[in-house]
Amino acid sequence: MTAPQASAPLLAISGLCKNYGAVSALDHVDFEIEKGQVVSIIGPSGSGKSTFIRCMNGLEMASSGTVTFEGRQIPLSNQRAWTKLRPDLGMVFQDYSLFPHLSILRNIALAPVLRGRATKAEAQDRALALLARFGLADKAHAYPVELSGGQQQRVAIIRALAMNPKALLFDEPTSALDPETIKDVLDIMLDLARNGMTMIVVSHEIGFARQVADRLVFMAGGRIVEQGRPEDLIARPQSERLVEFLRHLAPRTA
Amino acid sequence: MSLILDNMPLFLRGLLATLQIGVVTLIASTIIGFILGTLAVTRSRLLRLVVRGYVELLRAVPLIVNIFFIFFGAPLFGLQLTPYAAAVIGLSLWGGANGAEIVRGGLLGVPRHQAQSARALGMTEPEIFIQILLPQAMRAIIPAFAGLLTLLVQSTTLGALVGVPEFLQISRLVVERTTVMQGIDPAFQVYAFVLVIYFLLCSTLSFASRWLESVLAARGGSRKTGTAKSLLPETVS
Repeated sequence: MTAPQASAPLLAISGLCKNYGAVSALDHVDFEIEKGQVVSIIGPSGSGKSTFIRCMNGLEMASSGTVTFEGRQIPLSNQRAWTKLRPDLGMVFQDYSLFPHLSILRNIALAPVLRGRATKAEAQDRALALLARFGLADKAHAYPVELSGGQQQRVAIIRALAMNPKALLFDEPTSALDPETIKDVLDIMLDLARNGMTMIVVSHEIGFARQVADRLVFMAGGRIVEQGRPEDLIARPQSERLVEFLRHLAPRTA
Repeated sequence: MSLILDNMPLFLRGLLATLQIGVVTLIASTIIGFILGTLAVTRSRLLRLVVRGYVELLRAVPLIVNIFFIFFGAPLFGLQLTPYAAAVIGLSLWGGANGAEIVRGGLLGVPRHQAQSARALGMTEPEIFIQILLPQAMRAIIPAFAGLLTLLVQSTTLGALVGVPEFLQISRLVVERTTVMQGIDPAFQVYAFVLVIYFLLCSTLSFASRWLESVLAARGGSRKTGTAKSLLPETVS
């Protein structure tokens, strides 16, 4: 364990591998993100991008390599260390995964109280403030099933924010949504990005990457094939696989 | 009819015993069911196998064989069980096996991503179980346990075969006594009465089970509520 340095990246990953039996899902991936940066990860299905982001907070256990958060290396198989890390590294999933038996307010305020990050009253005040900020104040006492997919996903983002995380991970946050509600979710994400939230976003929303991402990462076959400034990568893809990928993506984002 | 009324105190005593056995075994089945059902979804392969073995054994053996085994087998181990105790233990072990299947089914019915998103929020495994998985599983578990109570009440009749003075056994005594003392055979009237009472009792319970199911499903919204109920055996062997 090394002492955190002033210029150290918030999250640094090196040589990360993930094998499922003989199949290699991640093949020596290196990655870094600094505080306040936004990184978008794209890639065809099966490219390992979802596996990659899930290895960042230990939801999937990487086979080898290192994950270093704020200068501290997390032992890959130490569940306790991952559990301790996760409140700082919020995650939003494709299927929003709100808890159906809890009200929106309880969904948001539960984990901060359990983790001792706030008293019940503080957590609820904060939840209400966040709901108001993102235009969902009237839903505080509703149950997830009463909300549209887009609203549920916005609550899922708020729930992750309520922990006061140092970074947010998004695993295809808009893939399961109706087209008309995608914009609401992207608007929150843009808002967060512009307000300095560190974000890693696995998504095919090239528009989002173009607008706020500092870096675009293209993955294929369990490796990072190309990365760079989004406008450069999109305008001048170097690899054949990225050219092919962008060509398939084009009709959707036109 | 006068025959039934004359013997009412006896019938009531038998009915009380039946209900008592039903409730006691339901409580025991619930405890066994929750412990084993929870173990059945742990990561430990060994624990899962042990629970599997218990459940399969208890559900494969006819319940009456199980009760006979306990009642006649216990003295060999220096344990003299009353018929009541043997019936309660046999029913509880059997109910526990079914309860374990209900709990296991209920827990497995909760979508996988629920535990995962709770984990992503930094919740520990015990917190996830108590705050997230169990409350959702209960929607499937509660009505299924009401259904199990119906089966347990029906199965209390097996106690008659080892001499537990429950409702059926008492009714048989009434029939025999009347035949001997009054020289008439009242079997039809008495057993018709027995049939009606069991029907009223158990249909009320299964109605309650369905009612609970619909109430809990309505509150749960669109979420699918597991398959715990369908895991119950259709008949009592």
